[in-house]
Amino acid sequence: MLRADATVWVIAGIFAAGIGYAMMNGVRWADFERTALRAAVAEEAERYQKIQTQIIELQQADRPVAAFGDARNPTMFGSRFGPRYATLPVGPLAPLAIGQSDLLPSYFKVSTDARETIVAASEIENPHRLLVGRFDLAFVLVFLYPLLILAVTYNMLSSEKEQGTLALALSQPVALSTLAAGKVALRSLLLVGIVVSFSVLALLATGVSVTAPGALVRLVLWLAAVGAYGALWFGLAVLVSSFGRPSATNATILATVWLLLVVMLPSLFNLVATTLYPVPSRVEMIQAVRVASDEAAGAGSTLLARYYEDHPELASGGAEQAMNDFNIIRVAVDVDVAKRARPVVDRYEQQLARQQQMIDRLRFLSPAVLMQDALNDVAGTGTPRHRHFLEQVDRFHAQWRGFVVPLIFQKARITDVSTAPAFVYDEEATAAVARRVLISGMGLLAPAVVMAWIGHRRLRRYPVVA
Amino acid sequence: MVKRIARKELVEMLRDGRFRVLSAAVLAVSLLSLAVGWKHYADVSRQHAAAQAATRDQWLHQTKKNPHSAAHYGVYAFKPKSPLAIVDTGVDPYVGVAVWLEAHKQNEFKYRPAQDRTAVGRFGDMTAAETLQVLVPLFIVLMTFSAFAGEREQGTLRQLLSLGVEPRDLAVGKAAGIGAALGLVLLPSAVLGVTALTLTSDGGFLSGKPTRAALLVAFYLIYFAVITAVSLGVSARARSSRLALVVLLSFWFANSLVASRVVADVASWLHPTPSAVEFQKAMDAELNKPEEMERRLDRRKAELMRQYKVETVDALPVAFSGVSLQEGENHGDEVFDAHYGRLFDTFDRQNTVYQLAGLVAPMLAIRSVSMGLASTDFQQHRHFITAAEGYRRLIQRTMNDDIMAHPTRTAYLAGRELWEKVPEFEYEAPAASWVLGNTRWSIGVLFAWLVVAAFWMSRPLATAML
Repeated sequence: MLRADATVWVIAGIFAAGIGYAMMNGVRWADFERTALRAAVAEEAERYQKIQTQIIELQQADRPVAAFGDARNPTMFGSRFGPRYATLPVGPLAPLAIGQSDLLPSYFKVSTDARETIVAASEIENPHRLLVGRFDLAFVLVFLYPLLILAVTYNMLSSEKEQGTLALALSQPVALSTLAAGKVALRSLLLVGIVVSFSVLALLATGVSVTAPGALVRLVLWLAAVGAYGALWFGLAVLVSSFGRPSATNATILATVWLLLVVMLPSLFNLVATTLYPVPSRVEMIQAVRVASDEAAGAGSTLLARYYEDHPELASGGAEQAMNDFNIIRVAVDVDVAKRARPVVDRYEQQLARQQQMIDRLRFLSPAVLMQDALNDVAGTGTPRHRHFLEQVDRFHAQWRGFVVPLIFQKARITDVSTAPAFVYDEEATAAVARRVLISGMGLLAPAVVMAWIGHRRLRRYPVVA
Repeated sequence: MVKRIARKELVEMLRDGRFRVLSAAVLAVSLLSLAVGWKHYADVSRQHAAAQAATRDQWLHQTKKNPHSAAHYGVYAFKPKSPLAIVDTGVDPYVGVAVWLEAHKQNEFKYRPAQDRTAVGRFGDMTAAETLQVLVPLFIVLMTFSAFAGEREQGTLRQLLSLGVEPRDLAVGKAAGIGAALGLVLLPSAVLGVTALTLTSDGGFLSGKPTRAALLVAFYLIYFAVITAVSLGVSARARSSRLALVVLLSFWFANSLVASRVVADVASWLHPTPSAVEFQKAMDAELNKPEEMERRLDRRKAELMRQYKVETVDALPVAFSGVSLQEGENHGDEVFDAHYGRLFDTFDRQNTVYQLAGLVAPMLAIRSVSMGLASTDFQQHRHFITAAEGYRRLIQRTMNDDIMAHPTRTAYLAGRELWEKVPEFEYEAPAASWVLGNTRWSIGVLFAWLVVAAFWMSRPLATAML
């Protein structure tokens, strides 16, 4: 029966084309990101080579050089010559969802500068493109997949009733709920089968390695999410079908629910969260940092004295007093600015955390948000992984300062650039990812089961003839 | 006749339960988005105005210092919020809010508000523009899909035509009826929006605010007319109202959700965006060219010595350090203009692709026009970038001229008198006519759609309609 229905084939065709295109897009983006990261690493290596040569030259020639142009000077090394990239590697399944990776940068150039200026960097992109979003597999799954499910299920019982064949079918020894279950099973097998087979095929065709660490687990989680999201929409279709309304009414109801859950609620959540917990414009932070630096710079010499009191081990005294004092004042000012700016920066982060908390609760009302979160998590392009990365960037920033600042106080010079610390990304535990995806998956599955159960019970009272 | 048909359509719609529910939803969403847009506008513009005043204050109250130190201290430029952003926030969330104007460097705009939101923000902002571009067309589709197809199914269409009613009158009358119904829904929001706009004082930032607002209303009306005409045209030709609905919903989905994403991909294939690393590396390579600087300085030295008829640089009546600094700025400016110019031209070309793609999906056309008139598109962001950069260059020139005019053997320090020589940064958004020029493709596309759709709607032959 289903095979004879042309719509099913049209739908399958649209779906296949959409998935193929989306996967191509995802792979292109992952390649772009990898190329950018490689370019960053190459730029750093080249720069390091150059400054090492320059340092050796300077050591041998021993000719005078401006302090600002001397890479041996730890202040200049730490802020201008030697900054190293902290990079967030592209995950093995990144092509599955572009997620937030086009908005949140995957590399930062870490120097002794204030943390806020370092993480304010961003990838270049046409803002219009960021605004409209990407046609990636996640888009196909979150928006199109439910629509196609609804398109093949909205009239699965009602059309048979309208044609009068339902009574005929039920004259056979088969219960209506069995018939409905059979119809759902066939349709879900078909659609989920198309999604899974096309996506996995595309994934393998584009050379994504499933043997990378954690990739297989993530792939299984992805399958679970696709299954759960599908189940939710099938459950909804069963529930709506069980009311015994005509096909047209079913279609209207299902389309409205789709619009509400997938298009309206997510933007409404965003609106509510950003209105209740607005993150003030960053201009306030800029001003706060600036005021703090002015005050700190004004109090520079006092700070220097205080710093020596706090760190007597570093006050060794010696030659080249002017340059060294400049360096030391700069460190003291940086530390002071960071301390003063902290409360302001914290306020931003608290507001953002409150928004996130609110969304984390609200999202259970919109399967689209749950699904998007799960897909981003699997692909490693979501906010949690980026936060995990940022925490490491913060630690590396501290480590970098921990390397440079003592050199400044000891009035030492850098002779071997390879002693500078390098950033090593520590991947999130797969268990943590699995936990998040499973929570989202449960959020999808629970209402699916409830709706299917209610639908199943209601089918007993289904008016078989119109 | 047309009037009578329109009145009948309107009355019928007002009695329709679906209409009441849908219009209540559209009304509620548009009022909510306007209210939130207004609050957001008020908050942000207050913050930015305060920050702009504070940065000026800091500049004026600098301690006595060398003008070049002041140039390094610099000022910030904060992008003012356009009052029409209440209606359409455009790319605002995806572009930085502030830029630091310092010596030697054209910095990038930092702090994209979207980075201070949760991932759910990527589902879209619930702005009035979003409502008008996405929800209202859906509303139109749902109210019109059965306009002809439904009457045909009930057999009333044959009756009407047998009475000698012109098919075109019928189409125009139905369109007018739907227009009137739509007007009833949107009028309260429009009144509220205009009131909110007149209440906002923008300190002269956006000249021609009423013109822009009026144009915005006019173009949205054209867009709605296009959608109505397309819907009626489909309804007149479709075999059944069910088919009409499927076709129109597919059109709506492709127009409002798919087209923008696919076109963004196409645009970036045609005009690829570089990564930040590549961009920075290429620019740094040109900035750090000692030979080039030497050549420039030698030329300036020769010029000055000829001008003042002296033999040595030391004998010049001007401080050569100022000349040298300015020459460095000039060199930098050329490099910045070339590199940023190329990047922004790439974005502009991509945006032209979006505009032209309106031929496939009218939503793209109205979106470009709407953002343009709201002063929240990339071109107007670029306009602000250019203005801010011009101001930076003015500061540099003022400082360097002052250094030049004070040749001393000892360290030269300047004070408030010099700081005051730099006028306050005042930005005025371009005129509405400039926007119309930029969005000419979209405007042309909208009119083309209007003409073709109107023709298409009014042309179904009476026989085809039956």
